[in-house]
Amino acid sequence: MFLLIYEGFGPLSEPIGYSYEVFRAIELTLISSAVSSAISVAVFTPLAYYLARNKNSLGETLSAIPASIPHPIIGVAILVIVSPLTPFGRFLLSVGINFFNTYLGLITALTIVSAPIYINSMQLFFQSMNVAHENYALGLGASKFRTFISVALPNAGRGILSASLISMSRAMSEFGSISIVAYYVLQQPFYGVNPAPVLIFQYYTYYGLGAAVTASAVMILVSIAMMIILRLVKQDNSKWMKGD
Amino acid sequence: MDERRLIVIKVELKKRLGGFFLDAELSDENYICLTGKNGSGKTTLLNLIGGILSPDDGYVMLNSKQITSLPIEQRHVSIVTPDSCIPHLDVDQHLVWGAKNKRLNIESEYVTEIKTGLGINFSGKVNKLSLGMREKLSVATSLISKPELMLIDEAFSNIDNHEDFIATFRNLAAKAEIDVIFTTQYPDDSTQADHHYRLESGKSTRLF
Repeated sequence: MFLLIYEGFGPLSEPIGYSYEVFRAIELTLISSAVSSAISVAVFTPLAYYLARNKNSLGETLSAIPASIPHPIIGVAILVIVSPLTPFGRFLLSVGINFFNTYLGLITALTIVSAPIYINSMQLFFQSMNVAHENYALGLGASKFRTFISVALPNAGRGILSASLISMSRAMSEFGSISIVAYYVLQQPFYGVNPAPVLIFQYYTYYGLGAAVTASAVMILVSIAMMIILRLVKQDNSKWMKGD
Repeated sequence: MDERRLIVIKVELKKRLGGFFLDAELSDENYICLTGKNGSGKTTLLNLIGGILSPDDGYVMLNSKQITSLPIEQRHVSIVTPDSCIPHLDVDQHLVWGAKNKRLNIESEYVTEIKTGLGINFSGKVNKLSLGMREKLSVATSLISKPELMLIDEAFSNIDNHEDFIATFRNLAAKAEIDVIFTTQYPDDSTQADHHYRLESGKSTRLF
């Protein structure tokens, strides 16, 4: 990684690697990854809690599948499901919902590939929480749903932040599925912009190694900034779990 | 004996946990003390009665009603341990949290009576309170929520003057017609109980 930064900003540096196009691609990647991470928080936090409190091998296996198959397959699967080949796809197209080269397709692919990491992180976080609080709430007549909403969730803020940053980092690095579903986005305000991993691949094939390495170096700096934030949040988390 | 409604607790339970085997029976009412060394099965027995654990065999009956297979939230049994609290609430929100869940119409005078009786003269966020304060608050919250049975697992241990606290709590529980099973490390606490059981290596013995 440090070699890429050295080469990207040094011997192999190419001006196109710092171009406006690269920064737009990074912007698109950051925003779409953040949105996919927010979707994971909203949709998969209850699932992670359920898996943490109930032994469910089927649920755990199903939620881990996207992480264990080659990601181009996920891209292909999304395209097939929403294509005119299926009744569901025909219905979506008839109401104007299109996944190919749209934000919807990009964010769907990023959510599918990063959600297993979010679910796993949150499951571990919920398992590390003191269940005595929840058992006490249940004994006070609270339903399982109310216990989740009113007892577990208010104490899970730091875990959610940490898991969502991990999931966002994973989404930022995704290439396989989005290179099929959303090679670029054909919607404003990012019309014609490629996600950063796709743009780096494109630079490599069009302009050669130098341009790809320079753009990669810029992207790596952004990823390092993300990792530093994540590390700080995790340190804060461990202090909190120890009750400091 | 208190002149009050008797809610009979009848329990026959078997549970294997690793190399430990619990085979306990209990059939009584009112204020029941459970003593035994560490590892004798006190917490396991309370967790089985409260629904946190499922028995391998046996039953739990409360006031002639089978509750063995009911989930925790439907048993009308409140479990209080030293860790029992809802950390992000304020003291006053905490006190009525259970009663609100059960949609009970609780008079503010009753809440004041419990607060005064149990020495809840503090306020603020629950997660900022000392362990003893949290234990008092958890017991008070549970009382105000009016369960049929309270299971208290060494939740008096960090309370100053806990003998006085137990005596007051006992009167308040009796007045609210709540039966209590409590575990303690202090043998003297059993003198305040109506009945005393001892657990040894998972086997229960009724002492009185």
